[in-house]
Amino acid sequence: MGNNRFLGLAYLAPYLIGLFAFTAIPFIASLYLSFTDYNLISAPKWAGLDNYIDMFTRDRTFKKSLWVTLIYVFTTVPLKLAFALFIAYILNYRLAFINFFRTAYYVPSILGGSIAIAVLWRYIFADAGLVNMFLTSLGFEAVNWFGDPANALFTITLLRMWQFGSAMVIFLAALQSIDKSLYEAAAIDGAGKVRTFFFITLPLITPVIFFNLIMQMVQAFQEFNGPYIITQGGPLKSTYLLPLYIYDEAFKRFDMGYASALAWVLFAIIMVLTVIAFWSSRKWVYYAGDKRS
Amino acid sequence: MKNSLFLSAAVAALVVTSAAAQAADLRMSWWGGDSRHTATQEALKACGAKYGHTINPEFTGFKGHLEKLTTQIAGGTEADIMQVNWPWLPLFSPHGEGFADLNELSGTIKLDNWTKEQLESATVEGKLNGLPVSTTGRVYMFNKTTFEKAGIPVPTSFAELIAAGKVFEEKLGADYYPFQSSQENAVLLISQIATQLSGKDLVDPETGKVSWTKDQLVLAINFYQSLVDAHVVPSWKEAASDGNIMLHEDPRWANGEVGGSYEWDSTYFKYSDPLKASGGVLEPVKILKVDGAVTEGVYRKPSMLFSISKNSKNKEAAAQIVNCLMNEPEGITALGATRGLPASKAAATLLSEAGQVNPILLKANEIVMASEGPSMSPYNEHPQIRDIFKDTMEEFAYGAISADEAAERIIEDANDTLSELN
Repeated sequence: MGNNRFLGLAYLAPYLIGLFAFTAIPFIASLYLSFTDYNLISAPKWAGLDNYIDMFTRDRTFKKSLWVTLIYVFTTVPLKLAFALFIAYILNYRLAFINFFRTAYYVPSILGGSIAIAVLWRYIFADAGLVNMFLTSLGFEAVNWFGDPANALFTITLLRMWQFGSAMVIFLAALQSIDKSLYEAAAIDGAGKVRTFFFITLPLITPVIFFNLIMQMVQAFQEFNGPYIITQGGPLKSTYLLPLYIYDEAFKRFDMGYASALAWVLFAIIMVLTVIAFWSSRKWVYYAGDKRS
Repeated sequence: MKNSLFLSAAVAALVVTSAAAQAADLRMSWWGGDSRHTATQEALKACGAKYGHTINPEFTGFKGHLEKLTTQIAGGTEADIMQVNWPWLPLFSPHGEGFADLNELSGTIKLDNWTKEQLESATVEGKLNGLPVSTTGRVYMFNKTTFEKAGIPVPTSFAELIAAGKVFEEKLGADYYPFQSSQENAVLLISQIATQLSGKDLVDPETGKVSWTKDQLVLAINFYQSLVDAHVVPSWKEAASDGNIMLHEDPRWANGEVGGSYEWDSTYFKYSDPLKASGGVLEPVKILKVDGAVTEGVYRKPSMLFSISKNSKNKEAAAQIVNCLMNEPEGITALGATRGLPASKAAATLLSEAGQVNPILLKANEIVMASEGPSMSPYNEHPQIRDIFKDTMEEFAYGAISADEAAERIIEDANDTLSELN
């Protein structure tokens, strides 16, 4: 019995060592470093709350970057979830070649985080890229997607939206698990497709919407590759998301203390929004066996 | 007999022990492309064999190398010999103590192969932190073929360049520009104009503050704007329409829609190679000057240094290898011009005698070396200073602030940062 217990621990050891060495220790170390002035070369110097005070009182870039990040998250997440649900709803029908379409729509998610896709995106939306070629062929003016601050963030948002596959697959599984008799009963009562969707489908998949919402929100707050490769945060910092700012502070300006403080503020924002989402979920998420009416 | 046998054995043992103590296991790190990687490994083999040392190579591309080196230096695990970018000196060695002082190894490294000016550029507070591998500078390069298409010669002055803007627009079309300058290139161009007008570098070596006056900087910024207005360079916004793309990867450069740029002489082939497909020929020209210039204001600097770690347990052995790579035929021949034209006199002589240097590269380098200008501070390329300049110029280019406000902000913020750094 005792041996089995140790055997279990031995199996867990590689994961636990990795968790402590590469997640827990850096996590705690970054909290300590956020209260220091640390440039990697000299030893960290205790700075108390200076980094946090600077961030909220003097740092114009932080305010801009935080604002851009919030706009990005609050546009990307709802759009992506709505689009993923829309496609999942269509793919839930018994269409010809349905498995091919399901795979095809999932592929961008597999490729999504890669540098190559970000580079491809840059070429598609470039001045003489595919999108502008299409627009001009229809008689429209070419659009400056990356050079105009009003468009650049939207272009990055589209890249993230295009990677809707993983959320879609989860929605699809949820849609398929809905009891068909509910739809039959609704049809007998004379409910149309729209009413069925809003009064049967949507309430029954709220746990999955909630799960996707949390996952997509956390991912969106951590977006890095797209803006880093495509725009480097420009123009006029219109795509300068917080993870880019953290990276620049840490590895371009070697201000590890400040970068750690930024990372902890980002962590706190994600944490607060997640808590709000969990709190609000009591009002709109329905689980099987729920007694609410 | 017995005694002499014993003595011989003792001497032999001493020789073996001494040889073993001299043979060192070293590490050398650098960044570069494939040709540099291959050549450096060959050179390390040759120099290692000459001195009986083993040198383990650690090489990467440029991207990410600074992060890697920083992490190593922070952890005290850096290689014995390091290729260090010159502007990184203030980051790693603000007071000269970040690297071994090579003056102390001058018995092994022949320092007389470098000029006083070259050694000074790598000296921080009296400590020689590295040896310049090559000297590089920014030169104006023009696509001769595009200018021929426009029916005008390659410009030799800013006045000619400005006149070319209209000709390009009328004869070749609105998409054609005789030059490009945005982001870092715009910063370097404006810096050069300010240097030409003031005769001074950005940082005053005496005070450690910005040496340009607000008026000089305003003139330089307005000069940049005049290039945009005269269709000489695409606006910042227009240049950004292709996203974050390097000029040499930009199809507009490859097909000749952009007629010229202001680049490092050592990167000549990086910019000339993409032109081959469209039949373009890239020509480096003398530094262009503005009216009222008191100097050419060439931006010249050591392209990179070979430094020795202050933590190395084998500094003497590392110095032997550095000397071999930079001053001795085994190293010089193997390295060739993979790091540009060598700064070491011994290497430059040997390579030019052997015909190992491309004439066009030589021409570009001659322009840099023959041009005049004040000594440049490594703070020009300090990430914080560069960001202040670039971000402010971007705001100016997008019309968010005036030239006056831009100049004021650059000087004020750069002075604040310089005070923090020193």
